[in-house]
Amino acid sequence: MIEFKNVSKIYDTGTEAVHNATFTIDKGEFAFLVGASGSGKSTLIKLILKEEEATKGNIVINGKDITFLKPKRVPFLRRSMGVVFQDFRLLPDKTVYENVAFAMYIVKASPKHIRRQVPMVLSLVGLSNKAKCYPNELSGGEQQRVALARALVNNPSMIIADEPTGNLDPETAWDIMHLLNDINARGTTVVMATHAKDIVDAMKKRVIQIEKGVIVRDDKKGGYNSEI
Amino acid sequence: MKYNGLTYLIGEGFSNIFKNKKSTITSIITMVCMMFLFGLFFAIGVNVNYMLEQVQMKQGMNVFIWDETTEEQKIKLETEIKALNGVNTVVFKNKQEALEDMKSRFKNKQELMAGFEGENNIFPASFVVTLTDLNRLDEIQTEIERIGAKIATENRAEEVDLEIEESTIHDSIIKNITSSDNTIKTLITIVSGIRMAIGVIFIVLLFVSIMIISNTIRLTVHARRKEISIMKYVGATNSFIRWPFIVEGIIIGIIAAIITLLIIGLLYDVVIQNIEASKVLQKMSITLLSFSEIAKTISIVYALLGIGIGILGSAMSMKKYLEV
Repeated sequence: MIEFKNVSKIYDTGTEAVHNATFTIDKGEFAFLVGASGSGKSTLIKLILKEEEATKGNIVINGKDITFLKPKRVPFLRRSMGVVFQDFRLLPDKTVYENVAFAMYIVKASPKHIRRQVPMVLSLVGLSNKAKCYPNELSGGEQQRVALARALVNNPSMIIADEPTGNLDPETAWDIMHLLNDINARGTTVVMATHAKDIVDAMKKRVIQIEKGVIVRDDKKGGYNSEI
Repeated sequence: MKYNGLTYLIGEGFSNIFKNKKSTITSIITMVCMMFLFGLFFAIGVNVNYMLEQVQMKQGMNVFIWDETTEEQKIKLETEIKALNGVNTVVFKNKQEALEDMKSRFKNKQELMAGFEGENNIFPASFVVTLTDLNRLDEIQTEIERIGAKIATENRAEEVDLEIEESTIHDSIIKNITSSDNTIKTLITIVSGIRMAIGVIFIVLLFVSIMIISNTIRLTVHARRKEISIMKYVGATNSFIRWPFIVEGIIIGIIAAIITLLIIGLLYDVVIQNIEASKVLQKMSITLLSFSEIAKTISIVYALLGIGIGILGSAMSMKKYLEV
């Protein structure tokens, strides 16, 4: 599903954000990427999204080596994954419905399909009654659920979440985690970069810890801190 | 509502215009200003050109012919000159008219002119030739000289037979050709100078318009960089992102073009009539173009400008933001 083979990333400034990372995340897995700020978590996410190019090594996504993927093909790679960010990134001048439908227009889905699929994912995230609201009329948790609905609407094989609970209060954060867990239970791979210790500890999922660009720990069912 | 790819993109372009009223209005105003300036120079350009053409048409040369020239020869000369490429009009001025001309020039010396009446008229008849293209003056003059010589030799044989006095036989039926050479040369210089100046101003204005529109759209794009990056993350292709902006640019361009056309249309005839009423133009009997005469050209120019600047401006300003 996601395979990193000796991947290093050195930015133009000379900083080595990722050093010789090797790991595999299988289909249907739920994996946390943990580490302090500036440890290289975000760079890993960017490498998966092909927002950044690996300096060394190979990255294979869904059986396809994306190391030398042409820029023109990048949009199609991204369509196989749903992305969720800490700051939601919704379009402020579009309604909840339009924000979700928008992701379907992009993949040129048929109008019929859009009309059926959007209400379905909105009900999945529990926002059926907010379809006509604008993002600024929603709470943070609701906005993140819209983002999640948008990420899910094209049935991606994986969800990439970069600190999705970072801007939410603990209770709302758990709503989102339950949703992600449900989504994972349906067979979608989830990769989530996070700082939230309590969440990682409680979920008992795979934990990949990165410090100063080096993967220092990869536990099948770990906590936020190593159990030494 | 039914959507397919194209209607979605065009719909986005339209809705962006309404959602970003402020920047849309700024863009339109800027563009109207540029296009108005453009229109101003366009109007000045075509009219100056038109005026100069009229002045040119009135310039030309006087082809003086020998008194001995026969009617037949005159007709031949006239037809052959008329057939030359670049000749506008050919008017015959007989000896009497030449005398009248002189008389009117020396109005206060009528007693002097009285000696030239009838038999004593020494002023030669002539053809007044005006040209459509003053640049070809020298060429046409040579041509006319050649024709004059040719006609003279054609008839020489007969003339010898008739034993006409030696002194009356000339090498050419043309006595001489005069043209206000200096005036014409100055005029040619002025015409090409003005044309070049207008051309340069046009290019500069075009460049400035594209830069300004591109900058205005760049601001719009910058304000929506977040939206663009979201589109990129969701998997939108560059062309999918670009099209709504281009549609927006085109629509802004067309709206600006229509507004400018209305302004120019309302002002143009009033201004032109005032200029036409001036004494100098009246004296030279020069007319200017009316709006209806330039409307078609200016509309096409504006449509192309509006659409072109819209496309170029948005395409140029998008580039930077598509690299996510």
